[in-house]
Amino acid sequence: MKRRGKPTRVPALVESSPLRRFDPRVKFAASLCASLAVMLPLDKLAIFLAAYLAVMAAFRLLGPVLRQIWRIRWVLLFLFLGDWWLVGLDLAVLVSLRIAMLAGVFTLFFATTTPGEFGLALESLRLPYRYAFSLSLTFQSLNLLGDEWIAIREAQKSRGALPELRGWKSLLRQVGDLVSLTVPMVVLATRRAWAITEAATARGFDSPRRVAYRRLAMSPADWVFLLCAVTPTLFLWWV
Amino acid sequence: MTEILRADQLSFRYPQHSAGLEPVSLSLEAGEGLLVSGPTGGGKSTLARCLAGLIPHLYKGTFSGTVWVGDLRTDQTPLWRLSELAGLLFQNPAFQMLAHSVEEEILFGLENLGLPRAEMRGRLEETLAFFHLEDFRARSPHTLSGGEQQKLALASILARQPALLVLDEPLSMLDSTSALELIDLIRDRFSQGTAVVACEHRGEYFTGLPAMRGVYIGPPHTGAKSGLPALPPAPWQPSGCDLLAEGVTVELGGKMVLDNLSLRVRAGQVTALAGRNGTGKTTLLRAFASLQSCAGKMVALSDGLEEKPQPGLVFQNPDLQLFNASVRAEILYRIPNPDLSWYAWLIEALELTVYEHTPPLLLSEGEKRRVALATILMRRPRHGILLDEPALGQDARHKAILIRLLQELAAQGCLVLLSTHDLELAAQTDQMILLGSGGILAQGPSREVLDHAAAWQAAGLVRPQWMVLT
Repeated sequence: MKRRGKPTRVPALVESSPLRRFDPRVKFAASLCASLAVMLPLDKLAIFLAAYLAVMAAFRLLGPVLRQIWRIRWVLLFLFLGDWWLVGLDLAVLVSLRIAMLAGVFTLFFATTTPGEFGLALESLRLPYRYAFSLSLTFQSLNLLGDEWIAIREAQKSRGALPELRGWKSLLRQVGDLVSLTVPMVVLATRRAWAITEAATARGFDSPRRVAYRRLAMSPADWVFLLCAVTPTLFLWWV
Repeated sequence: MTEILRADQLSFRYPQHSAGLEPVSLSLEAGEGLLVSGPTGGGKSTLARCLAGLIPHLYKGTFSGTVWVGDLRTDQTPLWRLSELAGLLFQNPAFQMLAHSVEEEILFGLENLGLPRAEMRGRLEETLAFFHLEDFRARSPHTLSGGEQQKLALASILARQPALLVLDEPLSMLDSTSALELIDLIRDRFSQGTAVVACEHRGEYFTGLPAMRGVYIGPPHTGAKSGLPALPPAPWQPSGCDLLAEGVTVELGGKMVLDNLSLRVRAGQVTALAGRNGTGKTTLLRAFASLQSCAGKMVALSDGLEEKPQPGLVFQNPDLQLFNASVRAEILYRIPNPDLSWYAWLIEALELTVYEHTPPLLLSEGEKRRVALATILMRRPRHGILLDEPALGQDARHKAILIRLLQELAAQGCLVLLSTHDLELAAQTDQMILLGSGGILAQGPSREVLDHAAAWQAAGLVRPQWMVLT
């Protein structure tokens, strides 16, 4: 059965990627640099995108990047056709490439970083632990929310609350069905958040005595990678 | 002996409804245990939260009396400090997972104790070894089975070495083998001098722990089985279709969950699907309900004609289905020209009449489950009903209401298939299918399957002593 209505998800962790072992701060900086490339003109952007995809292929991340772009295919198509019709082909291509680039660049970070490492990176950037922990939990929970959304759709369908309809009738009905999906979603998300709060508190969350077991430390390889990530962006801007 | 826990005239009332905890006093010394029983909504979970200090710190309401854990008074001590002495294990293991890996899950609690790194490492390795979790250390807790998750949650708490362990329905989501493993772990904690409070419906599992004494909280016993009157005949004539699966194969995430499975579930009987966590019980129900793609043949059979199966599936979690403003609106949602005699029969049979105008989301878990079942039945599903773990966290009375209804529907010719790891419930069904990792291990009348010792052994399921004796 085809699962529909799946919300956008965080890419799954790619353990086999060589980027997996790099410092999360470096990977985040690399993603940020790549995202700046969206401001480049069309010819340079095309070169950068091609180079980026080649680098992602080398790091075994091409699949996750393309999947992220594929998830927004309808948005891309809509923008492409709209811009082409209203302005011209050049702008349509440029805008589509920019959106595709933005969708793909942070895969470098999210597909190679665990929520725990994400939290450590935030802590090392001086964010207080309670906020860093909350953000890393949010990062971790995005896919769980996606699973719950699917489960709610199935449960409503099973009780006949989401009939299979086609065409405009289906669209109108789906607007009406939103309440049958969103109320359980809000209830479940609230319950999960509350249960997590209880579980964390019962294990001493917010203790002033906390000592982190792991700490991040930049290795020479991390510095080299950071240099390799920043240089091409600067070069393209300069040239 | 050292007194670990003392509660004097402890009571709590939630602000928006009357449910809460009636005054209770208790005390516990090191190495002692207390089994708290009582009906759903009787205050067991509230008591657990009071003893661990989550109430009154995290909950608003009227708290009275005192609770001492060691020499700390819970309402006057910060939670992080209390958590060093009292560990609390919750009912739903999946909701307790905080980290991305098993190792980090255990480390979370150790970091909050402020231990030196070397000691954290030592306790981590010791805990992983004791709970046989070494092979899972890098795995995401969300990929573990329910039993493994509950074991991990307990490991994360016990690594902190609390003097008091409070367990809130720790067995409700576990199969019998995982449940008995947990009991062994609790026995071990007694020998270490830990005091244990367990709030649990499935109290029979604790009979092997002599250090455990019992206490009942909540309204007086209502006579779970004998007190229920017989139901009038259901105003529904189901089609009487069987469900047939032939060579059904389902692969999920690279794992073969169902492998070339063939079975026929007959109408007019209540059939239980039993097996260890992760053997594909839910997947099979989903496949019958056309929610899971599978290879092989899956049909409803009526008078030799094959149709696409269209049974109603009642999900494990009722919160997935409920959203209306009242129980009545929920059950009648988008049913054109509803048969109100059928509706009246359903709410009577499920004891929901008094809640007709109450928002379903305000009901207890047991009541919500009954509403979810009513929403499915109201549509008179063409090919019977499937129920995924309907007895989860239910007390004896709720189970009795459920089984009475299912037996009546079966008597009218309806197909009823339920998955369960509650062997007490399974024993009350007509037929049982025992699933193992390799497929069906036994199938037939429930009594015969329950007596089939070799099949249970092959399933990796322990038949508890109380079940064998009865």
